[in-house]
Amino acid sequence: MPVFNVSGTSRSASVSDADAASGFPSPSRDYFDGRIDLNRHLIRDVTSTYIVRVSGDSMSGTGISDGDELIVDRSLTPRDGSVVVAVLDGELTVRRLRLTGRGIVLAAENAEYRDVAVPDPAALTIWGVVTRCLHHV
Amino acid sequence: MSEHPAGGGVRSPAGQLHRIALVDVNSFYVSCERAFDPRLEGVPVVVLSNNDGCVVARSDEAKALGIKTGEPWFKLAEAAPHLGLIQRSSNYELYGDLSSRVMELLGRYALWQEVYSIDESFLGLAGTPRELDTQGARIRAAVARNTGLPVCVGIGPTKTLAKFANRIAKQNEHLNGVCNLDTMDPGAVATIMSRVPVTGLWGVGAKLGKRLEAMGIRTVADLKAADPSVIRSRFSVTLQRTVLELNGTPCLPLEEERADRQQLIFSRSFSVPVTTAAEMRQVMSIYAQQAASRLQREHQQARVLTAYAGTSHFSHKAASFPSVTVKLQSPTSDPVVLTRAAVGALEDQIVEGVPYTKAGVMLSGLSDAGAQPVLDAFVPEQEHRHLGELLGKVADKYGSASIGLGVAGMPSARPEWTMSRKYSSPRYTTVWDELPVVTAR
Repeated sequence: MPVFNVSGTSRSASVSDADAASGFPSPSRDYFDGRIDLNRHLIRDVTSTYIVRVSGDSMSGTGISDGDELIVDRSLTPRDGSVVVAVLDGELTVRRLRLTGRGIVLAAENAEYRDVAVPDPAALTIWGVVTRCLHHV
Repeated sequence: MSEHPAGGGVRSPAGQLHRIALVDVNSFYVSCERAFDPRLEGVPVVVLSNNDGCVVARSDEAKALGIKTGEPWFKLAEAAPHLGLIQRSSNYELYGDLSSRVMELLGRYALWQEVYSIDESFLGLAGTPRELDTQGARIRAAVARNTGLPVCVGIGPTKTLAKFANRIAKQNEHLNGVCNLDTMDPGAVATIMSRVPVTGLWGVGAKLGKRLEAMGIRTVADLKAADPSVIRSRFSVTLQRTVLELNGTPCLPLEEERADRQQLIFSRSFSVPVTTAAEMRQVMSIYAQQAASRLQREHQQARVLTAYAGTSHFSHKAASFPSVTVKLQSPTSDPVVLTRAAVGALEDQIVEGVPYTKAGVMLSGLSDAGAQPVLDAFVPEQEHRHLGELLGKVADKYGSASIGLGVAGMPSARPEWTMSRKYSSPRYTTVWDELPVVTAR
């Protein structure tokens, strides 16, 4: 049972409950190297990685649905095309960052939503860069 | 470590200075709240104590409203909406997690590290004066980037001067949060020292300030110019150390070096001193269990445990610094064994009524779990039953408050989990059901 914890304090259990109950170590323990630890593979830096939950469907075109969890790394530099968490009207908002010739655009990935042009780049706060979507299927 | 930076203006052949930085987070609790709630930026915010009793942290805007630390909330509650004042209950889970992120990050920039409290750490730095400027700016940028928290960095040859430099950084916006005494104009430093009252110094309280004033010592500059031996005979060896430190001679010992991977330290300063052996048992029990779970996470075992406690270096009465090292029967990461050792080690050492301001558990002789073959007879019985791992699994599933050994498992050991926190923000980083919400609209 790999336990997923953004604070990096995961303890992945390396013995089964059956072992714990039976009271002696299983001989297979000697060959056991630990199960897959998602923290190791999905979190590059525990000090800068956060998990957030999505509310809304403006990013559905890129596979991010209402209720999905996102892994966000605050230490990454946002680039053109990055999916980012930006501060929009005082709210943390997920959008795709577009650096166009006419300025910065926070683009939606759903035709029902309008892209948001950012007139003053200095006033834009990018909270973090989304690296993964934990999509509920 | 024995090769501590010498400090005190010692230059290595490369022209490098060894310096001490004090890094702390500005209005830590408030900044933690703001990191996940942008609406709190630029508005007055206060964080309340246990049970929402009184103000323990204020944003600059709240300070500008004249709100004082310690002010009871019931006196402010009515006026808060008119003032635009926003209140939050203490969210210790959030603050604790962000603190550990900051401390881990700071450690990457340091030769050695002493975590001084939840939001401040001393760091060992080395470099030319200009390089130290750059390191200070980098540290500040890295913490802001990774956590969203603003820090100030004070750099000087001693702890007292690093703390003083930090104060200068905080009060002078044009310094961009970094004050390095080696690159400051010496005249400007002298001017500031002649203006800051002596009570603005680390460890000099109001009472001591009054006694000093009677001697004509009013400012930091006055104390710096005082004769150390006179200060010692009229006051204490502690204040003499402060005088020496102000003049660039390091006297305050370093308490811990987390950069040394051969040991693991859980240590904190207490905001309210621990004065009874019963309370100290709780502290030891909690630290030992934290240490055990860290060991297990890193697949390591410890052979030696040291439990220690101490009164304030600035305390003028009842100095007590018990420290007991226990050699464990065999290398272990078992929380039962470690807790028993930590609690037992200090059992007879704590003087009832003495105000202990810090305590810690240090594990050393670390080795990879399993690397050390152990004779079966020496493996403690509960390790057969994997109690430690079971505890960890329960804590993961139901939260760290759900299970604990001995006194750490008792509600009284963890009052913050039972108190009223009416205005608490979500535990954004530690509880799956309380993750920050990002809108997709």
